[in-house]
Amino acid sequence: MVGLQKAAIDGVALTTGVILAPVEAWDRMVAAMNSRSDLQEEVLRLQQENRVLKGQSQRLAALLSENARYKALLRSAQLIDDELIAAQIIAVSPDPSRHIVVVDKGTLDGVREGQPMLGEEGLMGQIILSGERTSRAVLITDSAHALPVQVNRSGLRAIAEGNGAIDRLLIRHLPAKSDIRVGDLLVTSGLGGRFPNGYPVARVTEVVISEGEAFALVTAEPISALDRGRYVLVLQRTVESEAES
Amino acid sequence: MERASASWVIYLSLVCGLLFMLLPFPLEWRIFRPDIATLTLFYWVLALPQRVGVTTAFFLGLGQDLIEGSPVGLSSLGLMISVLVLLSNYQRIRQFDGVQQSLMILVLLMLTSGAEQWLRNGMGMPGLPWLGLVGLSCSTVCWLAVREILRSLRRYYEVT
Repeated sequence: MVGLQKAAIDGVALTTGVILAPVEAWDRMVAAMNSRSDLQEEVLRLQQENRVLKGQSQRLAALLSENARYKALLRSAQLIDDELIAAQIIAVSPDPSRHIVVVDKGTLDGVREGQPMLGEEGLMGQIILSGERTSRAVLITDSAHALPVQVNRSGLRAIAEGNGAIDRLLIRHLPAKSDIRVGDLLVTSGLGGRFPNGYPVARVTEVVISEGEAFALVTAEPISALDRGRYVLVLQRTVESEAES
Repeated sequence: MERASASWVIYLSLVCGLLFMLLPFPLEWRIFRPDIATLTLFYWVLALPQRVGVTTAFFLGLGQDLIEGSPVGLSSLGLMISVLVLLSNYQRIRQFDGVQQSLMILVLLMLTSGAEQWLRNGMGMPGLPWLGLVGLSCSTVCWLAVREILRSLRRYYEVT
């Protein structure tokens, strides 16, 4: 059955591509008509941005190796090197009760089931089925999805569940006395081993503590705009060495 | 029983209905997408009950599931049930006027969707929100248009 579904993914994506070809052609034509000066300006801007990012990533490399040394000293956690695959969202599943998208990278590009998918600002979801050239990914707001998170400020751990609304995550079963406030950043906690820790997920928008209730009801808004933007990153984890924990 | 002729029109129209599912819709608006494939199936069952029936419904359901990425066979059961109802009542439903027929189609669509929700519930999958009923009404509104288009196709190609 899964084989059939995998085979179907690629066929469906191909057909979508054919249907969308006129739209794409129009986009390309509009892009081609951009004036030369506009393009030059854009190139300049991007070059500057690229320089800044490169500078930042140099520091990142140093920090990563430093972090790795500390972790090795502590002999506690496994060293993880994250590699990113750039992908594009090419379709949204027609099933209105699910938040599932199709991305244009598959097993041939190294995309596997269970890999996290990132937007520009934060976590978007994870791959659930990968065909050869395309994959399906479920978004964190899907009502069948939940992920372990951590409040960045206090380190409090919780489970953020999707509930079918594109701009909302729910945290239930958090004791009413918990240290969580509106505006807190939720990041992945790394528990469960599916998502690496430290990626921003959502920002708390509402904390409801009712009298006499044992649990607070916390609502959060995903940081990446899940229903906008086409470009995503699929996180490929390569575990370098496993120290005893 | 007369010989089948031009039955490719039937299958082509069903495939076109499936392709309609692939048209890009914004994430929040998908619920209003009319289910053209199911309406096409209902039309052919009403028009040619000797040609199109439960087996076609089964395969159309498979196609829908492969496109949606839901467990294979999930949509088939609902479609097969409503096609059965349609097959045992087609002579009466053919006599209905437009509004009556549309309402009958709404009932059949609710039956289809109800069976699917029941299966989803059993499998622990998220179900359709209540707004899904609005989606079904969108399909109902499209029924008369779909019927007219397919009827003219059927007459032009003399599908039997």
